[in-house]
Amino acid sequence: MPGFPILTATILCPLIALLVTLLIPGRHEKAIKIANTLCALASVILAITIWAQYDRSVGGFQMMEDMAWLPSFDIRYTVGVDGAGVVLGLLTAIVFFTGVLSMWTLKTRVKEYFAFKAALVFGVFGVFFALDIFAFFFFYEIAVLPMYPLIAIWGSTRKEYSAMKLTLFLMAGSVLLFPGLIALYVQAGGETWNILELAQSPQYTRTFQIFCYPFIYIGFGVLAGMFPFHGWSPTGHVAAPTAVSMLHAGVLMKLGAFGILRIGMTCLPLGAAYWAPTFATLATAGIIYGAFVAMRQTDFKYVIGFSSVSHMGIVLLGLNIYAGGGDVAQTGLDGAIFQMFAHGIMTALFFSAVGFIYDQTHDRDIRHFGGLVSQVPIAGSMFILAAMCGMGVPGFASFWAELLVFIAAVQTYPVLGILAIVGLIFTAAYTLRVLGKAMFGPRNKNWEHLVDVGVWALLPRAILVGVLLLFGFFPNLILDMIRSTVWGP
Amino acid sequence: MNHELLALACVTAPLLGFAVALIGFRRRHSSAAAIVIASGLVSLVASVLLLITARPEAQAFTARWFMIEDFSIEFGVLLDGRTLIMGSVVALITLCIQVYSLYYMASDPGKGRFFAFLALFEWSMLLFVYSANLLQMFIFWELVGLASFLLIGFWYEKPSAVAAAKKAFLMTRVGDVGLFIGLILLFQTSGTLDVLGIANIFEPHGLPESIAPQRIELIAMLLFVGVIGKSAQFPLHTWLPDAMEGPTPVSALLHSATMVAAGVFLVTRFHGLFLDAPTTMTTILWIATFTALLSSTMAMVAKDMKRVLAFSSISQLGFMLMGLGAGSLFAGYFHLTTHAFFKALLFLCAGAYIHSSGTNDLIAIGRAGAARRMKITTIGLVVGGAALAGIPMFAGFFSKEHILSALHGPGQMIFKIGAFGAAFMTAYYTFRMVFLIMRPNPNSQATPDEPAYPHDDAHGPAEPLAMILPIIVLSLGALVIGFFGDKIGAILHVEHIHHPTIGEMAPAVVVALLGVVLAWIDFGRANAKQRGFVSLVPAAEKLFEKRWYIDEIYNTAIVRPVIMIAKLCYGTETRGLDKGIDSLAYSTAKVGREVARGHVGRLQLYIGVAVVVVASLVFYVGMR
Amino acid sequence: MTLHAWMVFALTLFCIGLYGVIARRNLIAILIGIELMLNAASINVLAINYFVSPEPAVGQIIVLFIIGLAAAEAAIALSIILGVYRQRASIDVTLLEELRG
Repeated sequence: MPGFPILTATILCPLIALLVTLLIPGRHEKAIKIANTLCALASVILAITIWAQYDRSVGGFQMMEDMAWLPSFDIRYTVGVDGAGVVLGLLTAIVFFTGVLSMWTLKTRVKEYFAFKAALVFGVFGVFFALDIFAFFFFYEIAVLPMYPLIAIWGSTRKEYSAMKLTLFLMAGSVLLFPGLIALYVQAGGETWNILELAQSPQYTRTFQIFCYPFIYIGFGVLAGMFPFHGWSPTGHVAAPTAVSMLHAGVLMKLGAFGILRIGMTCLPLGAAYWAPTFATLATAGIIYGAFVAMRQTDFKYVIGFSSVSHMGIVLLGLNIYAGGGDVAQTGLDGAIFQMFAHGIMTALFFSAVGFIYDQTHDRDIRHFGGLVSQVPIAGSMFILAAMCGMGVPGFASFWAELLVFIAAVQTYPVLGILAIVGLIFTAAYTLRVLGKAMFGPRNKNWEHLVDVGVWALLPRAILVGVLLLFGFFPNLILDMIRSTVWGP
Repeated sequence: MNHELLALACVTAPLLGFAVALIGFRRRHSSAAAIVIASGLVSLVASVLLLITARPEAQAFTARWFMIEDFSIEFGVLLDGRTLIMGSVVALITLCIQVYSLYYMASDPGKGRFFAFLALFEWSMLLFVYSANLLQMFIFWELVGLASFLLIGFWYEKPSAVAAAKKAFLMTRVGDVGLFIGLILLFQTSGTLDVLGIANIFEPHGLPESIAPQRIELIAMLLFVGVIGKSAQFPLHTWLPDAMEGPTPVSALLHSATMVAAGVFLVTRFHGLFLDAPTTMTTILWIATFTALLSSTMAMVAKDMKRVLAFSSISQLGFMLMGLGAGSLFAGYFHLTTHAFFKALLFLCAGAYIHSSGTNDLIAIGRAGAARRMKITTIGLVVGGAALAGIPMFAGFFSKEHILSALHGPGQMIFKIGAFGAAFMTAYYTFRMVFLIMRPNPNSQATPDEPAYPHDDAHGPAEPLAMILPIIVLSLGALVIGFFGDKIGAILHVEHIHHPTIGEMAPAVVVALLGVVLAWIDFGRANAKQRGFVSLVPAAEKLFEKRWYIDEIYNTAIVRPVIMIAKLCYGTETRGLDKGIDSLAYSTAKVGREVARGHVGRLQLYIGVAVVVVASLVFYVGMR
Repeated sequence: MTLHAWMVFALTLFCIGLYGVIARRNLIAILIGIELMLNAASINVLAINYFVSPEPAVGQIIVLFIIGLAAAEAAIALSIILGVYRQRASIDVTLLEELRG
């Protein structure tokens, strides 16, 4: 179908879900759920189509669409995808779909929940496809804001506090970010917001880039769970309901990393190179620090939350290796984007498994469990599979991601690389601690009544496991795609 | 014979067995076992056929897995002497153990899962051994670790088993970090992932000119760190004795042909590289000798039968690495092969005893009369023990001789002495074990740690066929494999096998017999005290029993500090970062509240202030 | 009289009104102050109109507006004051300071 605006269609899927959800009266819960599932399914199909249609032999940005939005301010609606956009678009669609399926049992305020969630996904798709800085920021804020009501209403464990904390952190990030983006526009002469055109701007002197880059890096970095500005993320994960945690850790944190790549590194390559060692050090600190904190946590979700900080550190390390340039820059970027994808699916699986257990027990303290794998074999196995993926066991997607980042790291920043690899030991330590305490060990008699995952509840989890294994065994599928990613001059 | 097809069958059968058994037949135990055993049989037949019909030159069957730009990642099977022999040994021993598990695990509720994991273990190990590619090697190295984690922690409701599995995984992970960095550097240095290609760079003696010697040393050292973890050498050896928590067949597999063998195999695989790194070789010799001595002392006092065997594995692995470190590929490899047979045999015998008497304690097993009831098993025990002790004409004798005679270089005298010491202790503790079981003496001073609990199903055969068959096969193996040294050497393309003369053999034989005699005096003869000569020095006995306090040292020196750091980070997070940012937010809110307190609606004040401000502004502007 | 004198007169009147608004506690007195300020503004407008502008009608129109506005304002303010008095039996402004953020 030449000329079919497939990216816009994908962005519209959640918007349609939102509108339909608003139109259906709240008491028809089933209808709302079905409508959302269908829209999510449509977005998955569209995302796969984008994947298939993207011409890897040509590379670069494809399926571009461009139209005026606010002509008086040169703002245009420009969308297009490169390899990273395709990969992350698919990630979003998968997490959206499986997230809707895992919230099938939701009882309270179904309509509002699905409405907010659809709005969030709408923003996420927009960010991954937008090529206009203003549109990017617009979608970015749309994606970030629904988190507040989603957590504050449907959450648990100090939900108002967490929601407020998350919102304040992200707003603080945006506050840093906004002047940076405006500066990009003004410095280039105030004629265009288009990222690709801005990247060519001769006005971005080295001094300007060095000055401007930290605003953008830290601004986006807050959302990416960058150490030491990660505080919102574990708290938010813990408080959020299952599917929101899935989206939040699975996709939302990637928006930050993606923003750094798409805007920061594309427009300001010299600044990125200048700051790369500093930020790579912070990223490595995040990897190890996250693992250590996770080792002491007692709440399932806190462990996963800090593991996300640790794993996102790997993403940021890879990005900074790319920014620093050199022979292995490409490898670092491959690893970073692969890790974004793998971590997205993996955490979604994690939260999905934990959510399943929490729904029945209303308890997430790992000390209160034992031998879960014999009580709920399938849910337990899902958790163990996710844990193995987190430890970088071969056969799962994250193995490749971590391998690539570490290979690049050892060659670019040997000390950081070795520290990051040593971090693997601590990753294994906290993961095995959770497995040993909650999944294995003597059965806890309180939970003998737990019901295992049924066929329908298994579907979303099985999809996630399947994706992890698929890209674990055939990493080339995704690597080829990532290799078509476009960056700055 | 189509080698490609055979190789394919050999390495895919266990994977299929694993997948089918786990997904389809996890609850249908007998079917799962049958599937896995069938797949094991296929692997065995295929690998033996490959071995028999092997071409003299190395063959590699690879398929492109994927491309990264123009760099192709291959996945495949490399057939040369080293892989063919090891592959057959792995397949044979795994099959024996699978058959053995039929009865041993018969009444276990997780039997189907157990067999599936066994197949996974076999698959990982086979593909590790046969791998033609560094990346593939690393992947399967990790999978071997994963499979052993799953099997050690097989009885996952037992906290000690979970702890042991965790310990095994973590300690080998420590080594893996070294290995991982080493492999990255190796790849960077050689520019290829192809194992044969790398071997060809280093294989001709003398340093390759393009690579700095320090770099080779670094790579070799890092690879050896991985070996230390996997093959349980000091200082990362402590996981292996704990790994006894797994079912006995798992221990048998873990200690003979898989897991720990992977480390030694890695050294044999890149032996050319190691030969170019003399400093690393000396380090290997030091560590291996020390490990062999250290673990032998622990084996002399252990009462748990499986633990004695575990310590002996550590020390025998030390022997293999001594041979390799001394520069003799053949000696190390040969011992790896023979050890696989007799160690698997000993573990299977131990399993049979444990199964029938319900205890791991040597003394209790002996007093329960196990030796009398289980004649074939006891014969197996004696054969395996003799092989382990290095009694002439048994398998271990030949390979140990080769290792001892390899230690002849300048400055290697100290290692040779160490090796003799370890050989002596090996003979002593092996026959201590044999005599404690065969010649129980209820009136001796020996005290069992736990009593025997004979099984209720005493009506069943004491020695069912499924358990006896593997023991017989492995006993035969342990008897004859020693005579195949020349053949193995030929397959390995080792040109000059140095056959020790009678004169060279004599000291080792004397040392071994001395050990046996001492064991007889201490444990075997009538009215023996059965306390061992170590008990003459109570402090030493205590030290050995506590395993030199190494676990305790690790606990205080490593585990606690790590937990402390974790606590510190946790504290920083909750009381530092989080609190700081919270207080920032709260103080902002507080400032708002404080300011609001002044805003009570005192309109007149506001107007007054406004007037003053506006007036002064006007005044200021007017003045300009 | 000159324009200057008229403006000084208006300013004085305005300041007296402002003083009333700021300093008096009685709501009625404040209202009177506001009226004074409005009148001062009217005088100012008329004076400027008389001395400066060629078109006299403009100033008068403005002043008429101000007078109308003042009448409406006084009506609303008085009704508020009445309401306050009914509720609190007092028209002291310091008693009305109960805004708490």
